[in-house]
Amino acid sequence: MDFPRYHKEIVGDLLDGKFVLATDAKFIELKNNADFYGKFFKETFDFYLDIKSDYAYLISEETMEMLSRDICIFIGLLCYELDKEGKNFLDEIQYAEFDAEMVDNLLDNSSYTDLILNNNQLKNSEARKQFLGTLNRRNIIERNSDKKFTFTPAYKVFMDFAKNFAKGKLAATNTEEDSE
Amino acid sequence: MRTEPRTILNFLSNYFDIIKELFDLQLKDGLVRREDLNAILAEHDSDILNKLIEYKFFKKIADDFEIRPMYFKFLEFILSEFKPLLPETIEKYEHSVTSLFKKIKEGINKDRNILLQRISDLNNEVRDFTEAVEKNTLRLIAETKELKSNVDKIDYREKVRKASFWIDYYITPLNTILDVSNADSITNRLLDISQYINVRRLNFDDEMARQQFEKLYVFLVQTNDDLLRQSKILTNELLPLIERIRSESMILTGWIEFLKNPNKSETPFIQKSIRAYPYNNAMYFNSLEYVQEYMQNDDVYLEDPKLSANDKWIFNKEFYREQLMKELPVPNFFEWAGVTLRSEYEDIETEKFFSLSTLLFEDDIELEFDPTADRQVIRTSDMNLRVPKIKIKIKRHGLS
Repeated sequence: MDFPRYHKEIVGDLLDGKFVLATDAKFIELKNNADFYGKFFKETFDFYLDIKSDYAYLISEETMEMLSRDICIFIGLLCYELDKEGKNFLDEIQYAEFDAEMVDNLLDNSSYTDLILNNNQLKNSEARKQFLGTLNRRNIIERNSDKKFTFTPAYKVFMDFAKNFAKGKLAATNTEEDSE
Repeated sequence: MRTEPRTILNFLSNYFDIIKELFDLQLKDGLVRREDLNAILAEHDSDILNKLIEYKFFKKIADDFEIRPMYFKFLEFILSEFKPLLPETIEKYEHSVTSLFKKIKEGINKDRNILLQRISDLNNEVRDFTEAVEKNTLRLIAETKELKSNVDKIDYREKVRKASFWIDYYITPLNTILDVSNADSITNRLLDISQYINVRRLNFDDEMARQQFEKLYVFLVQTNDDLLRQSKILTNELLPLIERIRSESMILTGWIEFLKNPNKSETPFIQKSIRAYPYNNAMYFNSLEYVQEYMQNDDVYLEDPKLSANDKWIFNKEFYREQLMKELPVPNFFEWAGVTLRSEYEDIETEKFFSLSTLLFEDDIELEFDPTADRQVIRTSDMNLRVPKIKIKIKRHGLS
């Protein structure tokens, strides 16, 4: 049986929890063989493969995955703090270059102190440095230097999550109001 | 007595700071309250109320004042700060334009002067309509950009409320009015009119009316371009921009709700990394498969390999020492070493040559050499060695 080009790397990266980005040659191969890989991951690992226009990633049903939660907390805090400073956080995350020191400043002065201090990945500068390394390995951010980084299109997964979360909350509130 | 226009303009220019503040108040509240007026005049230490009334800038409404429409429009224009018109207000032009057009068609062969007046009125209505659209677009752009830049740092809830307000009440309805794909839009009505006028400007009998039709036609073509441009601004710039603000605020609402209790919320199901360890559950079956595939019971014979010329050479010092001692005295040691090695091997390997040279340090021999004599070249497998001529003989022990 013939396998698509980069088969080993595609499977390896996705199973490592990485986002495969459109800038990567593997992405085209993955997209061209979307049906094959969709079935492959579903039948072999029971994972769902989501291929968007500019990134692809694997989804598992394990809801207790801590890293996903920590990434959501991190991006959520970042958006909240950027908005507090009067910035358009979507533009910032999409286009701006972030500095580890700037992130430290935002989180150290955040009103979500308890949440940050109780999170092992975000509690201090050293932990955040390791955490950014993890995000970099997973292609969620791209390191431009030791301290500077930009977000890759993978950030959209988390923005969609927040949007759906808000819709869910609003729907729940409306249902409560209707029943009252 | 009628005031000189230049005097009025000079007055507006001299007191423009006050005029601008009065304009802002009316833009905001729809009129200028007396207490606000008094505060502004006191702040600027001016008493110009009488002049404002004399120049017909203000119209008195009970105790308060209103800037007369002519002045207000003029200020709107020069300040580019327009009060947005509700799309239904703009839509009224559709009725007036349609009605005038109908009358032009019906009375095309009737009174010439009435026809000319109707053409002129239609021209004015279309002009008013395009101006209203342009004003609204300008105002909407300003509002949207202000929301986007958020200089006032307004709360995201207020932002989403404002964005929704502009979309729902102004941008979307205005877009419907201008949408060329909507058969009932004013844009399409104007296209119909321009087609009709296009024919009349070429074949109408009366020269004067033909010129008026020509003028109206050119104006309608230009209007059509303007409206298309405004429509493009609305669809390509304003809607996505303001939609983005709405979406941004929705995301922020999501994050704030999520951060209230992140540990009890389901997060995106990002795959955690999977590694295949050799001791995983499948290890037994994998190993079994491997062993079964490669387990073969063929006989295996082991035998010593034959020695070859390239095998590692070990210097047998005693052997060569005995050989040297037998041949003493030797007139040239290095020559002897070369000849000895060549008798055994095809080439003189440097390593072997150096090994043999260690015999020079044996206790039982005596060395003699002339430091001034020419040196001799010995070629080994990978280098040329320049060596002195050393004579060796058996060392005599005891007193000589």
